[in-house]
Amino acid sequence: MSDKSKPKNLLPFWPHYVLSELIAWYVILGILVTLAAFLPAGLEDRANPLLTPEHVKPEWYFLSVYQFLKVAAVFSFLGADAPRLLGIVIPGIAMAALFFLPFLDRGPKRPARQRPRMLIILVSVLVILIGLTLWGQYS
Amino acid sequence: MTQSTRAFPRRWFDATMDWFDERIALRQLIAASLHVVIPRRAHTYYLGGITLFLFASQAVTGILLSLYYQPTPESAYNSILYIMNQVNFGWLMRSVHAWGANLMIIFCVLHLLRVAVQGAYKKPREITWMVGMGLLFITLGFGFTGYLLPWDQRAFWATTVGTEIASAVPLVGEAIRDFLRAGADVSALTLSRFLGVHMLILPASLVGLLLVHLLIIHQQGLADPHATEEQ
Ligand code: HEM
Repeated sequence: MSDKSKPKNLLPFWPHYVLSELIAWYVILGILVTLAAFLPAGLEDRANPLLTPEHVKPEWYFLSVYQFLKVAAVFSFLGADAPRLLGIVIPGIAMAALFFLPFLDRGPKRPARQRPRMLIILVSVLVILIGLTLWGQYS
Repeated sequence: MTQSTRAFPRRWFDATMDWFDERIALRQLIAASLHVVIPRRAHTYYLGGITLFLFASQAVTGILLSLYYQPTPESAYNSILYIMNQVNFGWLMRSVHAWGANLMIIFCVLHLLRVAVQGAYKKPREITWMVGMGLLFITLGFGFTGYLLPWDQRAFWATTVGTEIASAVPLVGEAIRDFLRAGADVSALTLSRFLGVHMLILPASLVGLLLVHLLIIHQQGLADPHATEEQ
């Protein structure tokens, strides 16, 4: 806790931070109830294993991986098995890299402005993920 | 203590606190948990705390839904209709639960992004980051397993293609898919399995990891984004 050496830049957790946090929770609760009231959860027809609907999609947070698996067809020049294999292995590696990020990025600098390379990587990954999700949604 | 000089509510409060203090050092416990400081510049935008709040909301609405939900293919769909149309505020509980699930994923990712942008994952916070990744996977698992429970067309087919993704994994892919489905197809067994994971395994795992996450954060204090690596 070397942070203690700079007492000017400290803020008490209680009650300052906690109070702001409670206000944030109150706002989120308001958003939740408003969304629920105006756009209540829907329900389609009862599940029918014999009737496949036209546009089958996973939930939005899995769409990017699902779409990537489809897009991976471009790897077919590497062999017949390549598209399916790379389609799942590449997201797997990306996920593992994110998990072990603290060990891959060991530079001591923390301020965001002093780490432009990291910011560029982050933004690119984010743009790709959002792009794949939208592509999956509207195709 | 100064009991006699204090007004009624304050005196009772103090007496209660004294009673607990004598036994479990309660004031000390509260002071150690709350009276800490955070760096003024560690703008967290309250994202981790908001994720925590959304989880609490999911727990409350989920428990209420479980009182009416029936986990078999024959009755699941009708029990959801019953919740939406007959149960007092049932529609509200289910809708808040559904929106809360999406918001929890969004805020969990936003929290991850703020930690990544501020470099708060760097030494000595590697463990906090990896435990956080575990929390993210669990949160996604909640969404995946919960989506099937209403047993409507969207639920059934989203789970069918979702589990199909796993089959692309080399060598063990199809075994993973069949394990997730509890068979070759999405069936009554899948529904029981998803419900057990959604209501018992994932909540217990999330609470466990969350305690570790928060304990380490409390132990280390929040990262000052303008400081370089601390020892
Ligand atoms: C259920 C999901 C999660 C909950 C409820 C949660 C909760 C929290 C809370 C309340 C804090 C205190 C500071 C703040 O609010 O920002 C925090 C800090 C932190 N979280 Fe999470 N978290 C979750 C997921 C994650 C994920 C996905 C990651 C990253 C992979 C992560 C990494 C961290 C790190 C490194 C800190 C310390 C930040 C610092 O010292 O400035 N957490 N978390």
